[in-house]
Amino acid sequence: MTNNKQLELNRRTVMKLGAGVAAVAGAGVNLAPNAFASEPAATKAASLGSRVSRAEGPLKVAGKARYAIEQKLENMAYGVTVQATRPAGRIVNIDASVAKALPGVIDVYTFQNTLKINKPTVYSKGGGATEEFTPIQDDLVRFNGMHIALVVAETFETATEAASLLKVDYEDGDAILDINDPEAKPMLIEPMGVAWGDAKVGLDNAEVKIDVTYTTAREYNVPMEPHATIASWENGKITVWEPSQWVGGARSVVAEFLGIDIENVRVISPYVGGGFGSKIGAHPHVGLACVASRQLNRPVKVSLTRPQTFTGLGGRPATRQTLSIGASKDGTITSIVHESWNETAIDEVHVEACNNVTKIMYATPNFSSRLNVVPVNTVQPGWKRGPGENPSAYALESAIDELAYALNMDPVTLRLANWADVDPSNNMPWTTRQLREAYAAGAEAIGWWNRNPAPRSMREGRELIGYGMAAGSYPMIRTPSEAKIVFHTSGQVEVLSAATDMGTGTYTILAQTAADYLGVPVETVTVRLGDTSLPRSALAGGSQQANNLTGALVKAAENARTALVRLAASDPKSPLQSLKLPELTFEKGTIRPTRRPAGGISIAELLKAVGKDRLEIEGNTFASGATEDMKNAADRSFAQLKGATEGSVSAHSWCAQFVEVGVDEDFGTIRVKRMVAAFDSGRIFNPKLAESQWISGMVMGLGQTLLEEGYVDQRDGRTVNANFADYAIPVNADIPEIQVISVGIPDMQATALGGKGVGEIGVVGVAPAIGNAVFHATGRRIRSLPITLEKLV
Amino acid sequence: MSAARQLSLEINGTRRDLNLDIRTTLLDALREHVDLPGTKKGCDHGQCGACTVHVDGERVLSCLTLAAQVEGRPVTTIEGLQTADGVLHAVQTAFIEHDAFQCGYCTPGQIMSAVACIREGHTGSDDQIREYMSGNLCRCGAYPHIVAAVRDASSSLKEAAL
Repeated sequence: MTNNKQLELNRRTVMKLGAGVAAVAGAGVNLAPNAFASEPAATKAASLGSRVSRAEGPLKVAGKARYAIEQKLENMAYGVTVQATRPAGRIVNIDASVAKALPGVIDVYTFQNTLKINKPTVYSKGGGATEEFTPIQDDLVRFNGMHIALVVAETFETATEAASLLKVDYEDGDAILDINDPEAKPMLIEPMGVAWGDAKVGLDNAEVKIDVTYTTAREYNVPMEPHATIASWENGKITVWEPSQWVGGARSVVAEFLGIDIENVRVISPYVGGGFGSKIGAHPHVGLACVASRQLNRPVKVSLTRPQTFTGLGGRPATRQTLSIGASKDGTITSIVHESWNETAIDEVHVEACNNVTKIMYATPNFSSRLNVVPVNTVQPGWKRGPGENPSAYALESAIDELAYALNMDPVTLRLANWADVDPSNNMPWTTRQLREAYAAGAEAIGWWNRNPAPRSMREGRELIGYGMAAGSYPMIRTPSEAKIVFHTSGQVEVLSAATDMGTGTYTILAQTAADYLGVPVETVTVRLGDTSLPRSALAGGSQQANNLTGALVKAAENARTALVRLAASDPKSPLQSLKLPELTFEKGTIRPTRRPAGGISIAELLKAVGKDRLEIEGNTFASGATEDMKNAADRSFAQLKGATEGSVSAHSWCAQFVEVGVDEDFGTIRVKRMVAAFDSGRIFNPKLAESQWISGMVMGLGQTLLEEGYVDQRDGRTVNANFADYAIPVNADIPEIQVISVGIPDMQATALGGKGVGEIGVVGVAPAIGNAVFHATGRRIRSLPITLEKLV
Repeated sequence: MSAARQLSLEINGTRRDLNLDIRTTLLDALREHVDLPGTKKGCDHGQCGACTVHVDGERVLSCLTLAAQVEGRPVTTIEGLQTADGVLHAVQTAFIEHDAFQCGYCTPGQIMSAVACIREGHTGSDDQIREYMSGNLCRCGAYPHIVAAVRDASSSLKEAAL
């Protein structure tokens, strides 16, 4: 082990050498000289890796991209849900007589005038749902804000008025409203715990110890497009327009809600106005829309109001984490003991896997982590960007900063001193781990080595200045998928997949992939997504979709090249029919004689010559011999999902986040002045879009750290700030200059084309980086999110 | 039911005669009654800016405006921003160029605000753009790219006017 003195970097030497190189030189890493060269200038070549603008951009900026509930259907009825105003107990009676008497009201559905909604199968049991709860099936009140009625009327205005006219009588019950309530009964989730060595002994014998508790608030995804659905029942079949990250999952949930064959369900999600994990499962209001449409035999649109998006579905649960780290005086970590608790619904289990980063980030001979859930009367929490990894990195990377100060070591140096050469949780080799390069690039970009590391030592006028950094990871999960290419005689090439694009860039990178592998201009490729009638795809979640789909599409393109050459050689009407198969080559969108580059014909010309309107070619990444059931499972459940350690190698995206903050000395107001992050997401398919996603995560992380907190009234369980005025998310003026740097290299062990996850890694590590910067600025360590001024002054 | 009322609205230069519940907001009139869903509903409470349109050339939150309030006053929505032959406005092209959006749901409101922001003369610096664009929330966090797009569009429009 390198000793402390060697690792402590002399600031002056560092400045001479160039910070990034010196930082890694201290840990014995060689860097390619151009490892941090900026992205190459935008190129006109439309292929993977270039900065092609968003394919659906022209539609979105013109207001012509029609989102799910913007379909115009004849005879549409409008449904508005009514939500419970108590946290627990029973509904004695719902008097809907006044509402029903209102002209234009079609019906009011409650547990007393119910429509059957079957319980869906949750993902952990092989289904596609994220909660089992189905509304209006019984009189039990589970949480304040649960749907207890659906009012359906001819117009939105009438339905809204009628919804205000229900008289609900409750019988109050005892509620648990807070993760810290002494009456709460935490449950250990034993199978998700991880341990090796003897963590207790390792900690007891440590020369230096950090023993801390970190908490995070209840957070909400709140995508700008509220959750809403149009359900249209017709002749025993249902079509559902649903903003969805996973139409295959929604389809299976809708089939279960209604108790009908899945073949009679179609889910369409052309554009998705953000999700961040909250549009993976079809939530209970979708069930209400579906059963009402079947009952009324007409389309029903149910839109959650903005306040209802805080309780109609859950966000990230509040968490509490205790973390003890033991180290020797030279900075070598000897033990980590970690335990977490997160809220879950009173009768359902959502686990925030707070050990996801803790268990892999640093080499330690002793480790123990335990996860607990605490049932409270809340809507079932869900996934919010970087579920598990985000709070995990918050606690770990804050505590590592505390350890660095306890040891009087530089935080980057301490991290390098505890570098994990292999995945410490299983001793598997990493696929790629460009984290040292990320530290170096980020540190250099923010000027890390020029700061004075002493707390409360830097200022500009009234502002105390602080620098902070943190690392993060996100696992590379994968699911087999399929894709289809359709060639047309017009020269247009269509790419088809059921996958969805919520701004992640799916439309664009699939067009780029097809253009690359078929050698056609990207402008000739049209991508169609978001419809269960299209080829099967796993969810847009877990930062896996781009790699799943590009892999499947390349298979389709390879099949297409073979099929086109074969067609050219075999069809009697083909102009190239005189040549044998080995004498033909597919190149740049043409089929040509191998020895005569000029004698080729385009795909469209071939189709016209042989009299075909279109040619459809499929490709997939299913295991050979996969049955239809297995392929459907890949589309509708997590059963075919492969984890980060598939193939006995450990695949993750990595990041190093660096921030500079300014804290007003008198008022404690915190301004993030600069954000810099370096990412290892492997090969980048489109830097323009990847950068947007990374920045997106960083902005969400800033909101989490400084602004976002769901307040629950401890008298009645009401979410007090369920709106955009009181639940503050970042606005434009909150966001400083942000610099993102790619340090990834193609990772061919991780995925077919060498990419790794992009969408979630951006948010991981932001909170601890800011918290650490606040400590550096002020000397105050705030161990609960959000870091608001009253905690600081 | 609340009383219905005959309304004549001028939307993107076209007269639309409608029979609406008098409680109908301009936003719902656009989205549900004249099939112009480009204007988005993000909160219905004037807190997010997704529903921003121009009334009499100024930015207005259509969710806090009753349809009946804009009778006789020209309304421009995102669908009316490009020219009749489909040429995008400088702000629209700048948003594409700078990737100033991801999911696209707040984008029409951002663009309508940006056009007005430039017209108001509130693009003197990046900080001023940030301040005057802060009524429009973007959960995808495209803010740095929105600032760049507004800055670029503002200078290209100024150049065009010279």
